[in-house]
Amino acid sequence: MQPHTTVILDNGASSIKAGIARPPDGNDNDQPKLVPNAIVRSKGDKTTYFGHGLGRCRDYSALHYRLPFEKGYLVDWDAQKAVWDGVFSSEVLNVDTAESSLLITEPYFNLPNIQDVYDQFVFEEYEFHSYHRCTPAAMIPFGRLFGAAAASPECLVVIDSGFSFTHVIPIINNQIQWYAVKRLDVGGKLLTNKLKELVSYRQWNMMDETYIMNHAKETCCYVSTRFFEDLETCRSNPKKNNILREYVLPNFSINRHHGRVRLPNEELSATDQVLFMENERFTIPELLFRPDDIGLEQSGLAATVAASISLLPHDLRGMFWANIGLIGGSTNFPGFYERLSSELLTLTPVEYDLQIYRSEDAVIEAYRSAIAFVNDPVFPASVVTREEYFEVGSNASRRKFAGWQSSSASASAPGDESTQESMIEDRSQPSRKPSRARARTTTAPGRRR
Amino acid sequence: MAPKRAREQAPRHVNATKQTLPPDVITKRTKRHLEELERSNYTEPSITLDNDDEGVISGKNRVRQIVSDKRHLNDPSVKKKKSSMKVRTALLYRKNLATLIEESRIANLPSHVPTYLTAAAPPPQLPPRLLCSVCGYKGAYKCKKCAMPYCDMNCESIHNETRCERRVI
Repeated sequence: MQPHTTVILDNGASSIKAGIARPPDGNDNDQPKLVPNAIVRSKGDKTTYFGHGLGRCRDYSALHYRLPFEKGYLVDWDAQKAVWDGVFSSEVLNVDTAESSLLITEPYFNLPNIQDVYDQFVFEEYEFHSYHRCTPAAMIPFGRLFGAAAASPECLVVIDSGFSFTHVIPIINNQIQWYAVKRLDVGGKLLTNKLKELVSYRQWNMMDETYIMNHAKETCCYVSTRFFEDLETCRSNPKKNNILREYVLPNFSINRHHGRVRLPNEELSATDQVLFMENERFTIPELLFRPDDIGLEQSGLAATVAASISLLPHDLRGMFWANIGLIGGSTNFPGFYERLSSELLTLTPVEYDLQIYRSEDAVIEAYRSAIAFVNDPVFPASVVTREEYFEVGSNASRRKFAGWQSSSASASAPGDESTQESMIEDRSQPSRKPSRARARTTTAPGRRR
Repeated sequence: MAPKRAREQAPRHVNATKQTLPPDVITKRTKRHLEELERSNYTEPSITLDNDDEGVISGKNRVRQIVSDKRHLNDPSVKKKKSSMKVRTALLYRKNLATLIEESRIANLPSHVPTYLTAAAPPPQLPPRLLCSVCGYKGAYKCKKCAMPYCDMNCESIHNETRCERRVI
């Protein structure tokens, strides 16, 4: 018996994008429900909110967060179950899990022991009829990020910049090329925390105000295309330049729950507290492009993209440069696209064109693609059913879900020393050694088809 | 903008005898800073997730509590179900990521297999730029005691008065 509904859970570390995939009826403005993936304790309200319950919160000051994810990986299943219980309940999706199929996302390079726990929860706890687990980028080829045309390009690169980290994911014919996937350990969480730190040192103590500072980040920060010029502007003309934004902090005593940017010539009352955002506005998102500004020993996003593409087959690289797509909440900064374009343009080999695609809403792009994937003919064949699970356990999903392990499971072991060495050399000079990189890709696992 | 001259003369003399921090101390400091930036909450919990009846989680006689069990959804039709053994284990025994990485043994995989550990972006090509640790502007100088960059004497005095005391041993 086929289940009637397919539940989609884009299970992000910061927010879950949840919804029910309807059969295609021309109406695809299905909006997912955005559920905070956290258990939050509000001191002011003296209440604990689980996931979607945060919407009822009246006092966002000094919220205490318990997040199921640590550095992008699901470690706290207790917290996660509490949030999921709410999502499946009548308060959000109202689904009978035993009668439904599930599509859930997992982080890139998810650990095998964590993957087993996914299986256990899906089948033993929620008793789903069947499920598919994959990374957000794996579904992008089914979506419309690369234009409304029926099919996405054969070779594409997805840049997924989320809450915990940023990944560069090359895909050939819907298959993720895991050997070329690169991770930059900068995401929304780190940026918000850094902003908290800067503001607390320079102005108000905001170390406990994650919620408020995240909102300030989302409303005020931008990626600068002329970093040093903007620095000069802030320096030479403090408090009177066009970069300055005055963020009026929320005031929970008079029930004003959200901060806002002060409008020009707006009168402020005596009780309003203002946060001056000057070079904080662009030095924070700058970390995506210059992680070494805080001492993180990784190249910026543009160089990481170049490094990733340089690991791919030589004759296909032009297609990757021409099909780069942006997803994830941290790509929403104003100026992100412009900065990435200008930096990538200097790294693109002259014979190739550079083209970057963005979506109207980078947060739910993966969810939208997931709907298209569920309605695609390949979907029914890619799920593991409950019967299969109870027959062979997690082996069923290991066989069926194309994860990073399967790309290498059949690769040969010998030649370790030499490949290791060439990989190290590749890393120190990621983009300018086509001959060496080519030599490596011919031996690379995962290319076999 | 006039820097307070009187205060900063004294430490200058002491510093004249080369007192910069060894690089490994700075690496350690950077690493600790990066770990701090991964924290979900700045003040670590004295939290009691449940405000009603339950006792506080305290040192020795710590009862393992599961928040997801205590959650009462408004939906009366939800039946209390007994979780399976494996699910129970996952709920009760939380492991941190470092432990999980170790248990997954991805470090033992042959070197050509891409994993979480090998996927990190390559180290930067360009030397790091110095930005003032106080105001964010280009920092041309480094503190002689703690090697944090600053941009002018004004920021230097602020640095000396505030951050510099927090020295790493």
